[in-house]
Amino acid sequence: MKKFSLILVLSLIFTACGGGKSNSGEELLKKDKEAKNNKPTAPAISKEVLSDIVKSIPSPLEISFLIKDLGIKYDKNVLNSADNTSKYNTGYKQALNLGIYSTDLGYANIYQQTQDALYYLTAVNEMAKGLKIEQFFDFNTIKKLATSSNNLDSLLLVTNTNLEKINERLQEKNQADMTILILTGGWLEALYLTCEVAKKQPNELLNNRIGEQKIILDQLLLLLSFYEESNNIKSLIEDMNELREIYENVKISYEYEESQTKEENGILVVDDKTTSKINFTGKDLDNILNVTKKIRQKIIS
Amino acid sequence: MSSQILQALTKLFALITRQDGGATEFERKFVIDYFVKELDQDSVHEYTKLYDEEAEYGKVQDNKVISMKDSVRILKFCREINKGLEQRQKIIILIKLLELVASDKNFTAQRRMIIDTIASAFNLKEEYTGIESFVLSEDSSTITGDDILVASTSNKLISPEAKYLKIENLQGEITFKQIKSADLYFVKYVGEEDVRLNGFAMKRNEVSLFSNGSSIRLPRGGSIYYGDITAKFLENLQGVKLSFSAKNIQFTFASGDIGLREMSISETQGKLIGIMGGSGAGKTTLMNALSGIETPSGGSVKINGIDIHQDKKKIEGVIGFIAQDDLLIEELTVYQNLYYNAKLCFDKLSEKDIHDKVMNTLDSLGLEHIKHITVGNVLNKKISGGQRKRLNIALELIREPAVMFVDEPTSGLSSKDSQNVIDLLKELSLKGKLIFVVIHQPSSDIYKTFDKMIILDKGGYLIYYGNPIEAIVYFKRETNQADSGRYSENPEEMFKIIEKEVVDEFGQETGKRQLTPQQWHERFENKIKFDEVEEIKESPPSSLNRPNIFKQAYLFTIRDFLAKISNTQYMLINLLEAPILAFLLAFIIRFQNEPSTGDYVFRYNDNIPAYVLICVIISLFMGLTVSAEEIIKDKKIQKREQFLNLSRFSYLVSKLIILFLLSAIQSLTFAFIGNLILEIDGELWSYWLVLFSTSCFANVLGLNISSTFNSVITIYITIPLLLIPQMILSGIIFRYEKMNKVISEKGKVPLLADIMVSRWAFEAIAVDHFMNNQYMADYYKLEQNINQNNYKITYWIPALKTRLERTLDNQKKKPTDSIKNVIRKDLALVRHEIKYENAYVDKYLKNYNLDSKLTPQKFDEVALTKLVSYFDSITVKFQEKVNEATKDKENLPDLIKKNRDAKYDINKAKNRYYNDGLEIFVTNFEVKDRFVEHEGKILQQIYPVYNEPKEFAGWWDYRTHFCAPKKHFAGMLFETYYFNIGVIWLFTFLLYITLYFDFFKTLLGGFGKISLGKKSK
Repeated sequence: MKKFSLILVLSLIFTACGGGKSNSGEELLKKDKEAKNNKPTAPAISKEVLSDIVKSIPSPLEISFLIKDLGIKYDKNVLNSADNTSKYNTGYKQALNLGIYSTDLGYANIYQQTQDALYYLTAVNEMAKGLKIEQFFDFNTIKKLATSSNNLDSLLLVTNTNLEKINERLQEKNQADMTILILTGGWLEALYLTCEVAKKQPNELLNNRIGEQKIILDQLLLLLSFYEESNNIKSLIEDMNELREIYENVKISYEYEESQTKEENGILVVDDKTTSKINFTGKDLDNILNVTKKIRQKIIS
Repeated sequence: MSSQILQALTKLFALITRQDGGATEFERKFVIDYFVKELDQDSVHEYTKLYDEEAEYGKVQDNKVISMKDSVRILKFCREINKGLEQRQKIIILIKLLELVASDKNFTAQRRMIIDTIASAFNLKEEYTGIESFVLSEDSSTITGDDILVASTSNKLISPEAKYLKIENLQGEITFKQIKSADLYFVKYVGEEDVRLNGFAMKRNEVSLFSNGSSIRLPRGGSIYYGDITAKFLENLQGVKLSFSAKNIQFTFASGDIGLREMSISETQGKLIGIMGGSGAGKTTLMNALSGIETPSGGSVKINGIDIHQDKKKIEGVIGFIAQDDLLIEELTVYQNLYYNAKLCFDKLSEKDIHDKVMNTLDSLGLEHIKHITVGNVLNKKISGGQRKRLNIALELIREPAVMFVDEPTSGLSSKDSQNVIDLLKELSLKGKLIFVVIHQPSSDIYKTFDKMIILDKGGYLIYYGNPIEAIVYFKRETNQADSGRYSENPEEMFKIIEKEVVDEFGQETGKRQLTPQQWHERFENKIKFDEVEEIKESPPSSLNRPNIFKQAYLFTIRDFLAKISNTQYMLINLLEAPILAFLLAFIIRFQNEPSTGDYVFRYNDNIPAYVLICVIISLFMGLTVSAEEIIKDKKIQKREQFLNLSRFSYLVSKLIILFLLSAIQSLTFAFIGNLILEIDGELWSYWLVLFSTSCFANVLGLNISSTFNSVITIYITIPLLLIPQMILSGIIFRYEKMNKVISEKGKVPLLADIMVSRWAFEAIAVDHFMNNQYMADYYKLEQNINQNNYKITYWIPALKTRLERTLDNQKKKPTDSIKNVIRKDLALVRHEIKYENAYVDKYLKNYNLDSKLTPQKFDEVALTKLVSYFDSITVKFQEKVNEATKDKENLPDLIKKNRDAKYDINKAKNRYYNDGLEIFVTNFEVKDRFVEHEGKILQQIYPVYNEPKEFAGWWDYRTHFCAPKKHFAGMLFETYYFNIGVIWLFTFLLYITLYFDFFKTLLGGFGKISLGKKSK
C-alpha cells in the first residue's frame, strides 16, 4: 500500500511538472484555428492546370547537360552541401531543398561524380522521408545505377521518372504546394548554377537560357500565389518578386503575352501563349545572380 | 604477593603480637604455618627471621600502651599493602590477623585497637565487626547477621537473622560468612569430626576461604557445594521463581540421523549448567532444542509449565541465546551496539533510562572504558576477543532473560578472558538466572564454577547429569580407578576415561571403546537419580517490551544508517560509483558528430539508445550489488534477535528505506552527470524516476538472493545470472522480431521479456524521451497523425485491396483446397481489419453486413466494388487528416514564435532536444517489411511509437508491440512511461512479498531435500 501511494505521489509530482506548459503546440494550433475559422480559404488549383504548368517547366537536368557540353569543369563548391540535410526540419524547407538537391544530384551525375552523386542521393532521400514520400523514391535502384557509371542515361531517366512520380503523388495527395516548392527549389538551383557558370565563362547560350527563365519565373509565381496564406510561401513570393523586378529589364521580344488565368466552374485555368527572344546584359546577369544567390541562401541555410 | 607486601605483612604480624606481653609461642607457630603455606622453604626462614626481629620474640614486653612509633609504622605498612593488594586479598589478610590473635585467645583491648586501625586503614571498617565476631566467636548463636549461614543438624542454637542449611548427622556446626563487598565466602567448622574442605581436614574453628568450586565432604556421606551455599545466600536476590523442565526430549535430523536420545533435564533458577561432550555428541542440538530454536522430535521443554515450542508467544523474552559467533554490528561502537539493542527491547523506557541501563551493563561487564570504540571485525580488531565476548553477552544481558543459553563462550579466548567470562556468567546465575553453557575443554577452575554438568556422548546419549566434581569421581569409580581420596578437578581426565579404548597385547589402542556411549548411558540411568524440580505456576519473568513495528523500523533504519555511514570505504564507493561510471560512459560516447564544425550536437549522437540501455543495466547492477549482502551479513544478528521476535516487516522496511535512499542518490547522480555530459536537456527527472525505480527493483531482488543463499560467493555468482538475461531481453541489443520462434511472438513483446525489468525501464525512457522531449512535445500528435494515416494510405489499404482482388481471381480458379484456404484466409483478414479500423465504417459502410458478404460463398465483383469504393473514400479521409496535420506542422513554428517563445528556432530546438538515433529506434524506420501478415491480421511494423494499441483479448491484456506510446489495462490506456514504471514497482512489490515470506529459500530448501533424499538411497 505504501508503495502504491508513493507511486501516486511521485506520478502526481511528475505530471504536475510536465503538464505545466499551457502553451503546448496542440493548444497553440487550436487557438490559431479558432481565430482563422471564419476566413475563407483560397480556391484550390485545378489539377490539370497544375500538371500542365509543371510539365512546361524544363527539367533542371537540361541545364546541367548544357553546362557540361560547353566543356565547363565540375565545381562542387557551387552546390548545396549534402551535410545540410539536418537543418531542414519543416515541410517547406524539405520540399525546396528536395528540389535543390535533385538538381545537384543531376549535376553531379552528369559529371559522373559518383561519390558526390551518392551524397546527394542520400540527401534527396532524406528530404523525401521528411515529406513522407520516400516510398515513391526508388532509392535502391538509383543507387545501383549511380554506382555503375555506364548507365548514365538510364540513371537520368529513373531520376526523372522518380521526381515526376513524386510530383504526381503529391498532387494526388492534395499537397500540390509541396510539388510547387520542389519545382521552385530545383528551378532556383538550376538558375543559380547557370548564373555562376555564366559569370565565370560568359556564354551567349547560357545568357539566353537565363533570360528565358523569366517566363518560368512568372509561372512559378503564379502557382505560388495560390498558397499565399502560408507565411513561408508568402515570404518566398516576396523574394521571388524581387527577382521578377530584375527580370523586368530582360526583354523578351516578339510575341510576348502574359499568361492568363481565368476561372472555370470555380477552377483556375492558366493559359500560356509565350514565344521568346531575349535581350540580356551583363549587368542583368550580375543582378540575377545576386538575387538568386540571396534567395537560395535563405533556403539552404 | 610481592616481597614488599610480604615484608609489610610480616611486620604487621610482628607489631600486633608484640603488644601486650609479647609474642607467644602459639602466635609464632601460627605465623610460621602461614609462611609455610604461602612461601617456599628458603623464604620461610627469611621471613621468620624478619618476624622474630620485629616482634622481638623472646623479650618480655611490659609497656601497656602502643608506642607512637608503632602506630606510625602500622599505618605505613597498611599503606604499602593498600597499594599492592585487591580488596579481597586485604580481607583475607585481615582475617589472618584476627585468627592470629585468636590463636591463643590473647585478644586484649590493645591488640583489638591495632586490628581496628588496620581495618580502617584498609577501608574495611564496615565489614570489620561482622568479620571479627565470625572469627573470634565459637558459638554460632552469638554470630548474627544475614551474611551468616549455619549448616548443622538442628537450628536450635542459631540466631534468627542467620540462614540455615539442614544437614544430617554432623556433630557441631559449619558456619559460612559472606562478604558482599568482595564477593567472598569464608567457612569454619566448630566440631570434632572429620570434615574435609576440598580434601583437607578442617581444624576446629579455623577460618578458611570457601572459594569458587569448593566443596565440603561430610564424615558420614554427603557434600556441601559452593553452589548450594551461594544459592542460599542469594535466595533473596532471586526474586523470581523458575522451573525449567525438559522431559524425554529427543531429536532426529531430517536425514534420519539421531541427534539426541531421550533425556530429561530439570532445573530451577540461579544455576549455571555446563553442557559438555565430544564433537558429534549433540551439544549444540541439545542447546537448540532447549532454547526453542529447533523443535525436538519428541518430548517437551517447559518453563514454568509453558511449552516453549508450542506457546512461543507466552515465553517471548524469557529466553536469551548467545551464539558462538560474534553477533555484533561491526561498524557501530560498543555503546551503540548495546543502545539500539536496548531500544528494541524496551519501548516504555525513557531515553535516560535506556542510557542508564546501557551504562550499567557496560559498567558491570567492565566495558565502560571502551564504549566509544568501534567494534570492528575479527580481521580488523579494535577491541579484544574477551571484550567482544563480553559485549555479546551484554547484548543479551541487557534485556535480562530468565533463561540464557551460551554456546562456547570461551572458545578463542585467553585463559584470563575465559575465566572472566565464566565468572560473569556465574555471577548472573547467582542473581537468579538459569544459564546453560556449552563448554569445551574448560580449565579446572572454570569446570568447578558450574553448578551442574550435562555430559553427552557420541550419538546423543546423556551419560551424566549432576555435580561437576562428582562427575569425575563417578567416572573414575565406574572404571574401577582408585579414588585418591582427593578430588581430581581436571575435566580432561574425565574425558580420557569416558573415551578410553581397549588396548591390545602390544599396548596399542584398538580404536574400540571400553564402554560404548550406550553403555555409559545405561550406567547413568541405573546409578544416578534424576531429581525433578517442582513445577512453578507463575508466569516466567519477561522484561521484553517491544516497540511497535514502525518504531522498530525506525530503530533498524537508524542503526543501519549509522553503521553504514561510519564505514567510510563503503560510503565512498557507493556514492562515487554512480558519478564515476556516468562520467566514463558519457565521456566515451560523446563524440564529435557535427560534420562541418566538428562540434558535439546531441541530435546526432547515435549512441543515445545504447546509453539508455547501459543506464538501465548500471542501475540494476548498482541496485543488486548494494543490496546483495545486506541480509546475509545480518544473518547472525537476526539469529539473536529472533528471540526478541522483532518484526520481519520492520526489518525489511528499514533495509528498503536505506537502500532506496541510496538508490535515489545513486540514480540521481548518475543521470545528472551522464545527461549533463551528453547534453540531454530537460530529461533528468524523467530518467531519474525510471532509473530509481529500476534500482529499487534491483535492491529488493538483491535482498531476495541475499536471504536465499547462505554464502556470499553464491550470491555474487547469482548476479550475472540475473543480469545477463536482462541485457539479452532488453529489446535493444537483439530485436524481439529476430528471436527464436519459441519465445518470440509477432507484433508483441515476448512474454519472457515482459518479466525483464530492463525492457520496461528502457522502453519507458526511450518512448518518453522521444515523445515528450521539449521539441517533440509540440509535434508528436501531428507526427502521429501524419505517420499513422500515411501508413494506412500507403500500405494498409493497398494490402487489403490486393487481398480482395486476389480473392476474386482465386474464385475463378479451380477450387483446390489450398486455393480455398487462401480465399478464406484473405477474406477473414479483410473482415478483421475493417472491424478494427472502423472510424469510417458507419459513414461509408453502414448497414453492410461484412460477416455475410465477405465470405467465400458470397464474395463477388459487387462486393469488391463496394469495398474498393469504401477504401477509396477512407483514403481521401485519411489524406485529409494527413494534409491538415502537415499544414499544422508547417504553421506551428511560427505560432510558437509568436505566442510562446520569440526566440524559438526549430532547428536549434531539434538539435538540442531531439535525437536521430532514438528516432530510428522507436520508429523502426529501417525495417524492410513495413507490415507483416500474421494470424489473420496485418501487423504494422513501422512507427511503433506512433501506433497505439487497439485490439485487446480482455481487460487484462497489457501486451503490445515494443515502444508503443500507450499501454492498455483494465479498459484504459495509460502512457507507456507511467505504465512501465507502475510495472517495475509491481515487480518490486511482488519481490517484497517473496522476500517477506522467504519464498525462494523455501523453494530452494524443497529442491535441496529432494536431491538429498535421492542421494541417501
